[in-house]
Amino acid sequence: MVETGHFALVLAFALSLVQTLVPLIGARTGNQRLMAVGGPVTVTGFALTALSFAALAGAYASSDFSVASVWENSHSLQPLIYKITGTWGNHEGSMLLWVLILTFFGALVAVFGSNLPATLRANVLAVQGAIGATFFLFILATSNPFIRLNPAPIEGRDLNPVLQDLGLAIHPPLLYLGYVGFSICFSFSVAALIEGRIDASWARWVRPWTLVAWMFLTGGIAMGSYWAYYELGWGGFWFWDPVENASFMPWLAGTALLHSAIVMEKRSALKIWTLLLAILTFSLSLLGTFLVRSGVLTSVHAFATDPTRGIFILCILTLFIGGSLALFALRASRLTAGGLFHPISREGALVLNNLFLTTATATVLVGTLYPLAVEALSAGKISVGAPFFNLTFGPLMVPLLILVPFGPLLAWKRGDLYAVAQRLMAAFAAALVAMLVTGLFVNGASVFAALGVGLACWLVCGALTDLAVKSGFGNVSPAIMLRRFAGLPRSVFGTALAHLGLGLTTLGIVGTLCFGTEKILSMHAGESVELSGHTLRFEGLYPAQGPNYSEDRGRFSLIGADGGIAAEITSAKRFFPVRQTTTTESGIETIGFSQLYLSLGDQGTDGSVVVRLWWKPLVTLIWGGGLVMMAGAAMSLFDRRLRVGAPSRRRKQPAAMPSAGVP
Amino acid sequence: MTRKQKRLSVIIGGLAFLGAATGLIFYALGQKASYFYMPADLTTASVQPGQRIRLGGLVEKGTVVRGEGATVAFSVTDTHKSVKVIYTGILPDLFREEQGVITEGSFGADGVFVADSVLAKHDERYMPKEVADGLKAKGVWQESTN
Amino acid sequence: MLFWVIAAILTLGASLAVLLPLTGGGKGASSSSDHDLEVYRDQLAELDRDASRGLIQPAEAEEARAEIARRILRLGNTSQADAAGTRQPSRAARLVATSAVLVVPLLSWGLYSQVGSPDLPSQPLAERLAKNPADSSVDELVARAEAHLAANPSDGRGWDVLAPIYLRLQRFSDAVTAYRNAIRLDGDTAAREAGLGEAIANAAGGIVSADAQSAFEQALRLDPANPKASFYLAMALAQEGRLAEATAAWQKMLGLLPQDSPWRGAVQQALADAANRSAASGEPATGPDAAAVDAASSMAPQDRQAMIDTMVAGLDEKLRQNPRDTEGWMRLIRSYVVLGKADAARDALHRGIAVFGADSEEAKKFTALAASLGLTATE
Repeated sequence: MVETGHFALVLAFALSLVQTLVPLIGARTGNQRLMAVGGPVTVTGFALTALSFAALAGAYASSDFSVASVWENSHSLQPLIYKITGTWGNHEGSMLLWVLILTFFGALVAVFGSNLPATLRANVLAVQGAIGATFFLFILATSNPFIRLNPAPIEGRDLNPVLQDLGLAIHPPLLYLGYVGFSICFSFSVAALIEGRIDASWARWVRPWTLVAWMFLTGGIAMGSYWAYYELGWGGFWFWDPVENASFMPWLAGTALLHSAIVMEKRSALKIWTLLLAILTFSLSLLGTFLVRSGVLTSVHAFATDPTRGIFILCILTLFIGGSLALFALRASRLTAGGLFHPISREGALVLNNLFLTTATATVLVGTLYPLAVEALSAGKISVGAPFFNLTFGPLMVPLLILVPFGPLLAWKRGDLYAVAQRLMAAFAAALVAMLVTGLFVNGASVFAALGVGLACWLVCGALTDLAVKSGFGNVSPAIMLRRFAGLPRSVFGTALAHLGLGLTTLGIVGTLCFGTEKILSMHAGESVELSGHTLRFEGLYPAQGPNYSEDRGRFSLIGADGGIAAEITSAKRFFPVRQTTTTESGIETIGFSQLYLSLGDQGTDGSVVVRLWWKPLVTLIWGGGLVMMAGAAMSLFDRRLRVGAPSRRRKQPAAMPSAGVP
Repeated sequence: MTRKQKRLSVIIGGLAFLGAATGLIFYALGQKASYFYMPADLTTASVQPGQRIRLGGLVEKGTVVRGEGATVAFSVTDTHKSVKVIYTGILPDLFREEQGVITEGSFGADGVFVADSVLAKHDERYMPKEVADGLKAKGVWQESTN
Repeated sequence: MLFWVIAAILTLGASLAVLLPLTGGGKGASSSSDHDLEVYRDQLAELDRDASRGLIQPAEAEEARAEIARRILRLGNTSQADAAGTRQPSRAARLVATSAVLVVPLLSWGLYSQVGSPDLPSQPLAERLAKNPADSSVDELVARAEAHLAANPSDGRGWDVLAPIYLRLQRFSDAVTAYRNAIRLDGDTAAREAGLGEAIANAAGGIVSADAQSAFEQALRLDPANPKASFYLAMALAQEGRLAEATAAWQKMLGLLPQDSPWRGAVQQALADAANRSAASGEPATGPDAAAVDAASSMAPQDRQAMIDTMVAGLDEKLRQNPRDTEGWMRLIRSYVVLGKADAARDALHRGIAVFGADSEEAKKFTALAASLGLTATE
């Protein structure tokens, strides 16, 4: 079975070459048959890659140590779930997952793209095939997961204990779905440049793909942040670590793309900019892959450092980023510019959004690459951390967040800022009240804290105002308003939800950073400690045995108002003998939206234990807001207008559809 | 305003925005980036008390002293010179004697390095990159074949 | 074989994916402007919907409608230019098609022959551990024993069997644990204590520590003639720099050891080294004498014996669980005879006969085998 997977991988590589060249030649010569090859080859390539991945996952699940990567990253005593997730918990397997997702998205275009113009479809599949071919080659040449060992060792070397966690099972696949999802936008852009024209259906295709990729990337980042929060035991949710930045940059650029694609779809404006943004977004995804996989950055994610891999990925990076930008420079002048608009309009607001987001992306990019550049010039070693980003990224985000509620309320082409401001009065008043209440009645609230809470409230209320205004609040009777509300296009709900989620995340960040409290102390069994009104009693350390680790569990009781035990919290130090590694399992108790977080430190000689406790108000909203944003993207995806009709299968009576818009 | 003027003002506004952002980035890089030193580098470089730096090296054997509560003192060495470090907090799981470590913080007036964060190597297989490079440059440490 | 069939089928499928669209008729695809027109119509419909819902002001809607109409008009101009661009399939196209069909099988088989290991079957761990113990490698046997002991940690005999194997495999800290468990569960014997000492010493890189010494001393209390314990205790003396005492101890050992003892070589080697060291007396006497430790720890015959014993014990265990294995019983009886354990062989013979019944074909086979090996059913 293992070798079948290996063979399927090689075969998929051969097919990806055919997928690159044949449809491209077909599109250039106008040959229908050559162009038609793209679809079936893409789907078959996906099936073969899936077979290959299944074979590898099977080898992991059955602890087949004759496969080198299984031997290096698995252990027979691991629980089955971590054996399977271990498939992508290492360099080779994760790259295979990367191409699996790439071919999957390519296959989706092949299957659902029958209503695309034939040459556009052929070119898109060809570019997608080219990306696939280089990554297949990369895997086969430098990171083959199917290298065998003969004779096979009897026991593996275990997965890095930090990665033995359910968060890991979900985080990389989501992140890759995001990264690779942008490859479709990239392929559409390059295809348009090759053709020298942008079809009207272009934006209608790019927008849903951007939405899909953005939705998964949002989920992946939120999941990764939550994983780091509870697994690393430092209580932080974002470290401005280069690897985190590597996923955050495509997210920022993707968010900009999401907004400019709206302008392009609605008004045929900003075409060239949108195209460039699509190229840049996927380039940043590739850059992220390079930074993480090449070992340039040392981190939990850099599974192994191998210079040949780094150089190979650097070549891929240069080929695609350089190639696409060169093509852009050559062809962009051929593309026709679109509609005009007044600076104060929906388009203008979206341009402003793009300006802020791309500048923010640039600051993150500089902060991430600057230390590498300095080191390459051997001018010493520096680290750029949170202080830098707080100083640059923060000032860029605050005005953007203030402007967010205006955007959706402005009209296309020419907007009336004064009318919009009037409509937002209620939201502004609510934000002001929230600010005053926080500043005056919450102990220890700084000016910044009050402003932060006000900003979050402004975002949330602004999103709600958008929905209220669009359903005719105040102008029509409640019954009509309700009917209108139900009949609003789903993309309107999507926008409102995404902005609402942004507000919630802001609230979570402000709450945690400004109102969080923390204590570090050394405790004996039976001692109690009080933190922000919560009393915790340390019950003692108890040894326990896991499948492939032993642990010391510190048991804590949360004392309720009546003096009884309200909850039990456990934090543990786990020791994994195979890797001789210790990890800390944090203990978390969720109270409302807030959390009590504690982690164990070293044991003292007198039986005491160092304990670090945090009270993190509203912290769950950080990720909860991310989930709401994802829900918004999903809502927009199901908007009926994003489904494009083909000439051959035109709907009979588009206007006669019931207003609910059920598919 | 004519359309041309309007367009011009939009472009100028955009450029001013980008200029401000660029200025901010360079200012922040100058102010907020912290340099990495090994103990032996400190004799040649002039690091003011209070200036934020990263100090890396090996945890010297036998110097880890646990004080009151969660305060820990230890020495960071590159085998040529060592620097005393004080840290209050939970040490990372991989913190061990004679293992690589990076601390971030600043020197107090008494010459003791007060760290507010301590990072140990992430994985059993390798050291923090800066420390490994630094030790290699000083010929102290060789990459194991493992 | 099965692999090649699957590979051939996969290749065929992949080639067909290339071939079929090439041979299929070129569907009269619609031009891009038809697609554009459809999109614009859809936009108009959507505009109407928004206007009827009051989401957009009538004036704005009218303006937008005019804009879309302008786009549709522009479309009419470009589509005429489009139509001229289509060309007939050429010979070059046929060449591309042929090479595309050929490249899939050629490239995949060529590349796979370079990187693949087609002859290597999958080896899931569970399957490997379920194999007949006689066909298993030492590692597999150890893994199986470990699995057994993980399930039955209080099986002292299991630990006892595993401990010397760990020692042999240089897994010294595992050996320490195994010996300690064996001693805890089944009581101490001279061999176990001496083994424990050896494991502790080797885990410490050959230094005979106080822990190791106390184990060796316990071994000598149980069996004053235990050569391993005597040897290592002398080594401890040598490591402390008490070379004269160490030499005396080794010489005493030499006198007591039987002529065929595997330890003689090791002791003589150690004596020679000690002599060298005391000659160069300025040299500090630190660290283990690597050569002597090596000589002692590679006493191959004894340990190899232990290994074979384990394999046979494993087979025995398997037969207790799955007794209806004629081949297994015969192999077990033969093994015990070869090992010179006549009693065990006889016991196995009885057990085998009992399983199948005294009158069965199998019983007759076993008796015949025993007879051919010179084993009688009773003493």
